[in-house]
Amino acid sequence: MLICNKKQGAEIDRWSGFSAVDRRGVLAGAAATMMAGCGVRRDPSALRLWAMSYEGDYSPHLMPAFTARTGIPVEVQSLPWTAAHEKLLTAFAGDALPDVMMLPNGWVGEFAMAGAIAPVAEREVADLFPGTADTVRWRGTPYAVPWSVAPQAQFFRRDRLDGPPAEDWDGWRAMGLRLKRRFPDSYAFLILLNWWDTLFTFAGQAGAALLRERDTRGNFATPEFRAALDFYVSLFRDRLAPAVLSTEVQDPVAAFAQGWFLVYPSGPSLLLDFKRRAAEIPAARWGVARMPGPTGPGAVSGVSGALAVARGTRRPEAARALVRHLTSARSELRFQQLIGNLPARASAWADAQMAAPVLAPFAAQLRQPARDPAVVEWERIRIEVQLIAERVVRGLLTVGVAVQEMDRRADLILAKRRALVQAGRLA
Amino acid sequence: MTRGERTAWLFTAPVLAIILLVFVLPTLVALGLSVTDYSIYALADWSNLGFVGLGNFADLLATPLFWRALGNTALFAALGVPMAIGASLAAALLLHDATVRWKPAWRVLLFAPYVTSVVATAVVWRFVLNTRFGLLNYVLGGLGIAPVDWLGDPRASIPAILLFVTWKIFGYNMIVFTAALSAVPQDLMEAARLDGAGRWARFRHVTLPAIGPTLLLAAVMSVAGFLQLFAEPYVMTMGGPAQSTVTVLYFMFDEGFRWWNLGQASAVAFVLFVLILAVTIVQTRIGRRYEWL
Repeated sequence: MLICNKKQGAEIDRWSGFSAVDRRGVLAGAAATMMAGCGVRRDPSALRLWAMSYEGDYSPHLMPAFTARTGIPVEVQSLPWTAAHEKLLTAFAGDALPDVMMLPNGWVGEFAMAGAIAPVAEREVADLFPGTADTVRWRGTPYAVPWSVAPQAQFFRRDRLDGPPAEDWDGWRAMGLRLKRRFPDSYAFLILLNWWDTLFTFAGQAGAALLRERDTRGNFATPEFRAALDFYVSLFRDRLAPAVLSTEVQDPVAAFAQGWFLVYPSGPSLLLDFKRRAAEIPAARWGVARMPGPTGPGAVSGVSGALAVARGTRRPEAARALVRHLTSARSELRFQQLIGNLPARASAWADAQMAAPVLAPFAAQLRQPARDPAVVEWERIRIEVQLIAERVVRGLLTVGVAVQEMDRRADLILAKRRALVQAGRLA
Repeated sequence: MTRGERTAWLFTAPVLAIILLVFVLPTLVALGLSVTDYSIYALADWSNLGFVGLGNFADLLATPLFWRALGNTALFAALGVPMAIGASLAAALLLHDATVRWKPAWRVLLFAPYVTSVVATAVVWRFVLNTRFGLLNYVLGGLGIAPVDWLGDPRASIPAILLFVTWKIFGYNMIVFTAALSAVPQDLMEAARLDGAGRWARFRHVTLPAIGPTLLLAAVMSVAGFLQLFAEPYVMTMGGPAQSTVTVLYFMFDEGFRWWNLGQASAVAFVLFVLILAVTIVQTRIGRRYEWL
């Protein structure tokens, strides 16, 4: 794994352009190409799995059971979230996809449309939370098996707040102002400006429908989305949250432990961070609650992970067996212990392990999922919308202009889809 | 064809073949792609591929982010080239002085950043530039300057990245300049000194003309390098804050590899190619005028 990462470093080096022109750079580039990284060392009998972040780092722990039962070794490569989309698409274009890959549910439609992944049997997507199964369908057929569900919730500093945090917008802001008065050197919230999840959580809570006309045009100028954006921007304007990017906050867990901010909207993978660093932030000091909605908690969509089998795999049977193993209630429960991720299998939730109080807000949130538009361009639209929202937060745009601009950008991105839908080539 | 010519062709053929294969051919294919609407839909089904003529270029000119990327890149080059070359030349001149001891050690130390990995050093520099705990703000604080939000303020992000880039690359040109400086004729230098020329006059009228061609080469390489700036903003800021560090190449990478709009990305590549070519032609013209070429 280390060697693969090093190779990625060299790859980026090659892009820098400083070395691209001189001889030294060309030689370095040639060396990087010749090594061709992980491909050469690969065990030809092993199945390959790509997964993101902690899922990638920790899934090797789930493999001994699979290998012992089937005799098939599995090689796991961990991808960072920030580079996953381009790596998967490029691998597909270059016919180098692994046998099994993790996809967030929002990307399943895109990869199914592109013909990168094979459909899965209907029985694989039974025994799931209602709403979860729909997110992995494309044209009615399931193309991936949900692996974990990760709606946002708010992690809060129990020792600094008077009680559980508010779960409605007005109460949340009032709580933020109160905290800011009591702890002038701290911020109430941490909302990273280059991540879209909190803005879209608010939009989901407000009940905003984000695309219109059969998902061929942006629909951001609605009162619901405007309300969500207004609320989002006001948190920064009132200095309740610092205007920072993820590249600036190198270690949010340490900052949370030090009390730089007191409430942190995040996914369940933070549970692993807190478990690993209990010396810095003991369990008694933090708690979890549902994200606030306009008048109380509402529907939230989360980054949920699913597992898909590549259409081009040479061993579809083995690949499907691996997906079945990883998405079994047993594996998902073990994964929950390891990295905090919540099982997608409904039956796994009957286990005593899932009754832990810290999981209750997530469980309640899961029963109220919001559905993202299932279009190929969704990932890009979400990022564009967040970029425009960042400009509003920095005072470069007003909310009124911003929602128009979001619609304009979404319409541009959806132009190709619109043309295909109008020509009747796309359902 | 004489025997000599045949031999010459035989020897150059492998290189020419490689250039044809990895340079000319991809350039032509990219040019071909730039007049199509190749996107992820075409990746799924070839029948979704269409010819759009100059449509990609028209779209590009109507994209505000492309203009912003062009502006950012111009700013990077306009500030970065003098900064990087100035730092290289200053370091080379200092090291060239006869009173400096342990010259090889200094050279190695100053050259070291050039050969370290961008990603690893960027991580370190992100800590140096951190608003709350960073070394740089700590030093500035000692001078009574309020903390600067280096990577979070759209106005400070370009200078912050330039600082990192200059530190990273100046060692290379420093070595080149060191070699050029050792070729400056010493008798000319002594004659100028005897004629009463001061430090600056000797630098201006003896050293500078002697290293002129090297300076031009360094300028051409640096401009081409800065116009292709990508890895540093990619690992330091991911184009942020508020897209203030999105460069042309970053924009192209995003369009092409992240979203797989290869038609659009090829159009960007072509524009960048023309730009670099144009700047280089201007530079060589200037070089000819001063008889450096």
